Amino acid sequence: MSPDFDPTPVRLPVDPSLTEGRVPGRAEEEIPELHEVACPPELQERIETLMGRYPDRRSASIPALWAVQERYGWCTPEGIRQAAAVMRVTPAYLESVASFYDLLHTKRVGSHRIEVCTNISCWMRGGDELLDAFKAAAEGDEDFFVTGFECLGACDIAPMASIDQRYYGPLEAAEGGVAIEQLRGGAEVLPEKALAKRGLAGDS
Amino acid sequence: MPHTLEKRVLLDHAEDPALRTLEGYRRLAGGYATQERAYKEMEQDEVLKELEDSGLRGRGGAGFAMGKKASFLPRGDMAKYLCCNADESEPGAFKDRELMQRNPHQLIEGIAIAALAADAGHAFIFIRGEYAEQADILDAAVAEAYEAGYLGTDILGCHRDLELVVHRGAGAYICGEETALLDALEGKRGNPRLKPPFPAVQGLYGGPTLINNVETLSNVPHIVRHGAEWFRGFGTEQSPGTKVVSISGGVQRPGNYEVELGIPTRELIYDLAGGPLPGREVKAIYPGGSSSPVLTAAEAMDLPYSFEAMAEAGSMLGSGSVIVADDSVSIPHMALRTARFYHHESCGKCTPCREGTNWTVKMLERVVRGEATPMDLDIISSVQQNIMGHCLCVLGDSMAMPVSAMVRKFRPEFEAVIESAGVPGDDPLAVVRGMEQTLGASA
Amino acid sequence: MSPEPRQVTITVDGREIAAVEGEMLHDAARKGDVEIPVFCYEPKLGDPVGACRMCLVEIEGIPKLQTSCSTPVRDGMVVHTRTEQVKHAQSAVVEFLLVNHPLDCPVCDKGGECPLQDISYGWGPGKSRVIDEKRHFPKPAELSPLVAIDRERCILCYRCVRFSQEVSEDAQLQLLERGDRTFVGTFDERPYVAPFHGNITDLCPVGALTNYTYRFRARPWDIENAGSVCTLCPSQCNVSFTVRDEQVKRVVARDNSEVDDGWLCDRGRYGFEMFADAKRIGGPRLKGGAEADWERAIAAAAEGLLRANGKVAAIVGDASNEEGFLVQRLLREALDSPHVDSRPSRGPGAATLRRLAEPAVSAKVRDIDGADVILVLGTDPLHSSPILDLRIRKAIRRNGAKLVVATERPTALDGGAEAIARFAPGQAAHFVSELAGAIRGADNVATPVAETLRDAGSVVVLWGERIGREAGAVEALLDVAAAANVAATEGSGLLEIPDTTNARGLREAGCLPDAGPGLGETAAGMATEEIRAGLISGELSGLVLFGADPLRDFPDTPAWEEALTAADFVVAFSMHENATTAKADVVFPLETHAEKDGTVTHPDGRLQRVRPAASRPGDIRPGFLVLSELAAQLGLQTGVDSQPTAFAALTAAVPFYGGIADSDIGGRGIRWQDRTGETPQPGPQGATQASEQGPTETGATSKGHAHEQVETVGSGSPDTQPDAPISMVQPDATPRGVASGEPDATVPPPQDAGGLLLGTYRDLWAGPVTELNAPLRFLTPQQRLEISPADAERLGLRSGDKVRVGQNGSAIEATVQVKERVSEGVCFLAEGVAPGNANALLNGGPVRVSVEKLSGVGA
Ligand SMILES: Cc1cc2nc3c(=O)[nH]c(=O)nc-3n(C[C@H](O)[C@H](O)[C@H](O)COP(=O)(O)O)c2cc1C
Ligand code: SF4
Ligand code: FES
Repeated sequence: MSPDFDPTPVRLPVDPSLTEGRVPGRAEEEIPELHEVACPPELQERIETLMGRYPDRRSASIPALWAVQERYGWCTPEGIRQAAAVMRVTPAYLESVASFYDLLHTKRVGSHRIEVCTNISCWMRGGDELLDAFKAAAEGDEDFFVTGFECLGACDIAPMASIDQRYYGPLEAAEGGVAIEQLRGGAEVLPEKALAKRGLAGDS
Repeated sequence: MPHTLEKRVLLDHAEDPALRTLEGYRRLAGGYATQERAYKEMEQDEVLKELEDSGLRGRGGAGFAMGKKASFLPRGDMAKYLCCNADESEPGAFKDRELMQRNPHQLIEGIAIAALAADAGHAFIFIRGEYAEQADILDAAVAEAYEAGYLGTDILGCHRDLELVVHRGAGAYICGEETALLDALEGKRGNPRLKPPFPAVQGLYGGPTLINNVETLSNVPHIVRHGAEWFRGFGTEQSPGTKVVSISGGVQRPGNYEVELGIPTRELIYDLAGGPLPGREVKAIYPGGSSSPVLTAAEAMDLPYSFEAMAEAGSMLGSGSVIVADDSVSIPHMALRTARFYHHESCGKCTPCREGTNWTVKMLERVVRGEATPMDLDIISSVQQNIMGHCLCVLGDSMAMPVSAMVRKFRPEFEAVIESAGVPGDDPLAVVRGMEQTLGASA
Repeated sequence: MSPEPRQVTITVDGREIAAVEGEMLHDAARKGDVEIPVFCYEPKLGDPVGACRMCLVEIEGIPKLQTSCSTPVRDGMVVHTRTEQVKHAQSAVVEFLLVNHPLDCPVCDKGGECPLQDISYGWGPGKSRVIDEKRHFPKPAELSPLVAIDRERCILCYRCVRFSQEVSEDAQLQLLERGDRTFVGTFDERPYVAPFHGNITDLCPVGALTNYTYRFRARPWDIENAGSVCTLCPSQCNVSFTVRDEQVKRVVARDNSEVDDGWLCDRGRYGFEMFADAKRIGGPRLKGGAEADWERAIAAAAEGLLRANGKVAAIVGDASNEEGFLVQRLLREALDSPHVDSRPSRGPGAATLRRLAEPAVSAKVRDIDGADVILVLGTDPLHSSPILDLRIRKAIRRNGAKLVVATERPTALDGGAEAIARFAPGQAAHFVSELAGAIRGADNVATPVAETLRDAGSVVVLWGERIGREAGAVEALLDVAAAANVAATEGSGLLEIPDTTNARGLREAGCLPDAGPGLGETAAGMATEEIRAGLISGELSGLVLFGADPLRDFPDTPAWEEALTAADFVVAFSMHENATTAKADVVFPLETHAEKDGTVTHPDGRLQRVRPAASRPGDIRPGFLVLSELAAQLGLQTGVDSQPTAFAALTAAVPFYGGIADSDIGGRGIRWQDRTGETPQPGPQGATQASEQGPTETGATSKGHAHEQVETVGSGSPDTQPDAPISMVQPDATPRGVASGEPDATVPPPQDAGGLLLGTYRDLWAGPVTELNAPLRFLTPQQRLEISPADAERLGLRSGDKVRVGQNGSAIEATVQVKERVSEGVCFLAEGVAPGNANALLNGGPVRVSVEKLSGVGA
């Protein structure tokens, strides 16, 4: 800023709305009490079990957010408040944690989640085209959340995708559409491309 | 049958799905016998000595001697912890995935023995959230191990307790950095901490903590079982043992191959991974994951694949992941692809990494769009220099090292791209994706 | 106790600097006048985070540059801060920070007082190589009704979020997203409303966080800063007023580690617009609000008071020491009446107060920092002395102090407590005497919390003045002090949290019914509640209220209504119009703490100087002058015509203030107990008398005092139920910060009497500070009835229901708030809120209230 800085004061009009008893639109959020949040009992029990696994209950924040996401499809503000009440932390704390991580969604997303790797090895072998194919096939369907993703740790099956938390590859671009249709129809997804079914590279 | 160049220790019997069960692990690999012997017959110091003598170097990236690190933990009554780093998020790396998926009990046994060496009562496996399948497998294996008395209280009647928790991450590369991993495990955002204090002294919940990679810990039962001498029989003086190497990119048979350290890089790429795709030639490689400075094919092929040889060549072995770029790959685009990864994954805590990665991406985008001048290449290099050594952790350096190597070694290609790019109607950026474009994360 | 820090020598840029081993290199270098630039480093926020990387330096023997903010010095360290390598790194960091920082300094409120601007000049590259687009955020956004956030300017130094995490521990302000997308925000984009949040505007090193109250109001080059003391609560934080055109435009902290640690609460920070509110009284007025000139008003006051013919009393509320001193002289010497008090309700007798004032049993604010155990007794510092709430949190978080909370109402500090006791309203005296016994080893209700206090090392007891409304409570407290051996333990002691802002100063200036200046002996007069009764009965006919508003602040509003109506003549000194001034015959205006010149005494004995920063509006005159003139009209020449003469008169009359000069007070104040030389003791023979009492006698002594109190202060003792409902709560042992200690065992008070036992508290935001400050108006508390989930269920109530709470013919309306930590059988209401002031229901003892539902929230 040094070269551009101009020390002449600029007078702007004082807007009285900036100082007159401004009322916040919504209440601030401290640690909610359990009776205020109507946490489903299964969720509460789940989070309490998770907290019990760690020497410090706050360690359960990521697992608890996973539980919220499982229950509601994404980390809804209500779900975060419920987890916060059980964990006795502020909802802000949990939202801050959730928003740090790519797999936790603080905005609504479709129930089928497809992450297509676009990182170096997959990019070299057609990851971008695969992503396009998935996107085209899922276009306009709110049940699907398709996203490009950083390296998923499966460069051996490049290009690949994670579909509802299971890995598939190597995929032809056309298989994007196939997988989406299979998901829509409730069929098994790309059975022959599942990572679980592969042998060791050195044995092939 | 594996290729004769492979030397399978960690991946022995890995082709057999039965290895995943406790019964199969015992039957095929003589599993848990070593833990039993260590717990019943060995003192903490004996185990430590075996590990130190073996010269086992960390397989997570930094290559620090595992036994030595374990010996740094102070003695005393305070709670101590062991964390297994299963975050494996560096582009090009996928060996830990294979090890956990195929042989989870080998890792659990390794953790149990390492916990004895570190006198830790609580252990955690921090596994990246994307590895849901592998985490499920680990959960099942851990339950089996508890059931069989290899974990829990009063293990094997030896008055020793060990709780093991599989902790799933939620998608952030930085959590692989050991202190960020600790913060994430404590339930916070995964930001790296200042060092010192080092985790061995003050780590998880403020207690002494040993952090090791999946592969490092998977080696432990074998070392304790066969002895340090046996282990040193593989590999080189400074890089003893075998290594599971992930090979990907422009090769015919990408995958994990377990080899003795020190094997010629050419054999890895050509003999094991089948060499480049038909009609292609190798142009450059990242020898140790996306954060290692790229080597040209000429520089790389005759180098022994060992920690010391890679370091000497100005690069690093890192996690042992080779990404092969063939002659169809545009290096400036690959540089942008690499920079975008680190930009997306920078935790944002320290200035040079947060701003340096973002600025580098913007400049490389201009390069690829043809909106740069060769002077910008100098600025890019200078910015990489400004990042290196100035950050809180080495994520920033992890971008700066490969990017500056690419600009330095392939400068004419960068200049050519600047010259030829910007063809109307064609978005040159469309060739290189990143999460930002699809997630709208930069909003 | 930590071992003595070792002195070491380091070399910075060729210069030898003496340092303390372990201190951060940045701080050590500064002692040698070597300035190393920093952004994220702020020791007040806890451990360094090493995030901004601005402070990199070269240390010989270490290949990589190190952050000086986080590197502890070692003996013989050789450091370079101006080598090429260092300069290069520093200028690189500045360049990086400016990659995304907008160049809008000319329109930025921080311009001219911006660390980023200064450091860019001093250490930056001078010229930017960045031509790429900067990141965008909607700007400016509303972080709270008081603070605007411009996220484009934010350099992610984390100071603000660390404040929220590690200092105020509200954990509401957080970082969201990751990497360069990171931004500072709150849950679900809700406002950041928390009592200390304004501090983040002081902490922010750029113009990202600015006050709406100050936006575009002034620029650094046309303002003046004036140091003074905030007297909006007993914490008496040191402040600096930003003044333009002789008006206060902003209040910022003026770090005094002996008092406030450099923080301010939002009340002190934003509570200045009431200085110019329409309700401000600008000159003297007569009955019915008619304005009068000073001569006439003073004459009218003198005449009315004379007519009362000695049947006159005075109650002092918010006032400086000098003002209090003159009021009591006016009464005692000019009007020949001994009836002076400065307390809203009952309190202990003079002999007890003298014992309390002994230096050996008193703690100072700083003792909290080093205490092994802190006992918070019968007060919630957050509401009654906010800045001490932060101080206690710091002691726990950073120094490992153990906290014991013993209160009626759940406090903001419960989450960090080692042990919690909850006693029912009316049981303070009983609990405290049990506590003394338990510390000595007895097994009783207080034993679970007493265990932490037994053999604890240093113990600081923060106790609320209001426990003194119960007979014997303060005497029992002195017994607790004896049991915990505070007199003989370095760093131990009692620290009162009074109900009014200058309570200690006024008592020491002589505003007590049974003690004169210096707590000296005097003819006994009536105390506050007796004055009230006297006015009703006709025993008294005249009343002087100086900065006191009984209709809002004192218990039993109906009785006070009656008393003020019955009084023949009332003179009220007040800053603002209120229900009390409406009943007065003569009203004199008072100065605010930005206008006043005078001293106040902190609850720990620190005399501090309130200095005028702004001009007095209208026709307002200094309080001491008005009192002095009024006294003269009544025939008493005080000799006071200026602040120095007023202060001299005060120090001459209070033996232990004797010889304190204005220069001793300076900008930081001085504790009278800490003066070198002989330590004068309070009262005539107070000290010797008290210190001769061995611990074994204490029981008997306190009984004696209790008896005396009943005599002096009257009103009888509350109906103490033996084996009172006291519940011990063991909070969970989880780490602090975001936790809240949760009762897991409660013993409810007896249900037999029907209704709920009422406890009251003074809410931080109750009163003119929110009602008359436009920016704070949104915080004006509505009356809430806090009840336990069990009682809510029993009574069919839910949070949000409207109820009528009644007691013996009086009733107020409130909104139900179900709170898990409230004990069963008890309920709480706030004092001082309007409408629905809980004082309307109080009558001197614990009361039971009936609760009637008016309307429910939607199903
Ligand atoms: C940005 C960053 C990411 C890392 N990611 C991983 C990882 O995914 N897995 C891993 O084992 N080590 C990772 N490391 C290295 C760890 O910090 C640490 O050195 C390692 O876990 C130690 O284990 P080892 O000694 O067994 O290798 C990473 C380091 C950095 C700086
Ligand atoms: S808003 Fe200000 S204080 Fe907060 S992180 Fe940004 S620059 Fe720092
Ligand atoms: S001041 Fe040292 S890193 Fe920020």
